[in-house]
Amino acid sequence: MPRQISRTGGTLIAPERGEQLVWDLPVRLVHWLLATLIAFSWWSVHHHHTDWHIWSGCAILTLLIFRFLWGFFGSSTARWASFVRGPRTIHAYLRGRWVGIGHNPLGALSILALFLAVAVQVGLGLIAQDEDGIYLGPLARLVSSDTSDKARDIHELWFNVILALIVIHLGAIIVYHLRGKHLIKPMITGRTAVESGVEPMHPGRWWVALICLAIAFGIVRWVIAGAPPFGS
Amino acid sequence: MRFVRIAFASIALAAAGATIAAALPKDKALQVMKVRHDGMHSIADALKAIHRGLGATPDLPTVRANSAKLVQLSRAGSYWFPAGTGPEVGKTRAKAEIWQNPEDFASKFRNFQGAVRAFDAAARGNDVAAMNARFADLDGTCKACHDKYRGPEEH
Repeated sequence: MPRQISRTGGTLIAPERGEQLVWDLPVRLVHWLLATLIAFSWWSVHHHHTDWHIWSGCAILTLLIFRFLWGFFGSSTARWASFVRGPRTIHAYLRGRWVGIGHNPLGALSILALFLAVAVQVGLGLIAQDEDGIYLGPLARLVSSDTSDKARDIHELWFNVILALIVIHLGAIIVYHLRGKHLIKPMITGRTAVESGVEPMHPGRWWVALICLAIAFGIVRWVIAGAPPFGS
Repeated sequence: MRFVRIAFASIALAAAGATIAAALPKDKALQVMKVRHDGMHSIADALKAIHRGLGATPDLPTVRANSAKLVQLSRAGSYWFPAGTGPEVGKTRAKAEIWQNPEDFASKFRNFQGAVRAFDAAARGNDVAAMNARFADLDGTCKACHDKYRGPEEH
């Protein structure tokens, strides 16, 4: 089935028929780890575990860098170029004239916004310090103390932006569900029903994923060390 | 400098200690709370300066100057929590639990003061690893009190 809103009011092609891989393992792992770590980051900082909060942020940074790279070298449905579309395609999608596999042109906007919002949040966290001066983000020494305090204030407020995007994300899943398209199971199993004629996903290579992951770990290790020539 | 003003204000409060212990009129209570609030901010500023000063290229003059401030502020802090300066009087993050567990609170506060002195002793030397270790101990004593006796930040 093409990834578009069903206009037949809830009838769905039996999932057994024409099920194909739509989300590769790296995409699914990044998705669920990100969801878990965002929740954990919120919980830990509200329960006085600022150290865990910082490590969680570093883990999120690793995921973001990996996912960014996988968006260039990964499976076809993971690639930025395959799903980030212009207004014309979005318009066509809204009129039901879009057929494909992976993120639909409208959902892509939501994914992009969520990715950027989390990246901004991590960036703010890296240079922030806590109100007592006990915890410094790994790159906080690269900016002034006042800047770190401001970064923390914005970091706290910015979480509301992420929350809003999560609400939109979950709301969209519910709307699609009511219209007969189930999005959660494919994000777990990786498979979805695909209509014939739709170009299938071209899977990425496992060793490319490993290289992307190694690069992500390397960059984050560098950041944890305090960046440029290992701290300042 | 703010910390000097706070130190003097705290001494003035101590001088009036007898009256404070008896009964604290609201204006006096609010005065103490203001000194406490500013004092806690000054402690945070000193800690931030020290933490930054203990980077890959340590800035020991900054560390030592702020450590000296911290010693004064932590001493002054003995007079910041008289009974009757809790959330029932005015806006404060100091929880009512402080005055329900005065012994535990006082012991935690003494731990903090001791940790500040231990850090200051290290800061007078040149062993940055020792300073970092004492700073971590000091952080622990801040956190021990804050987790239990400080309310959430309000915007």
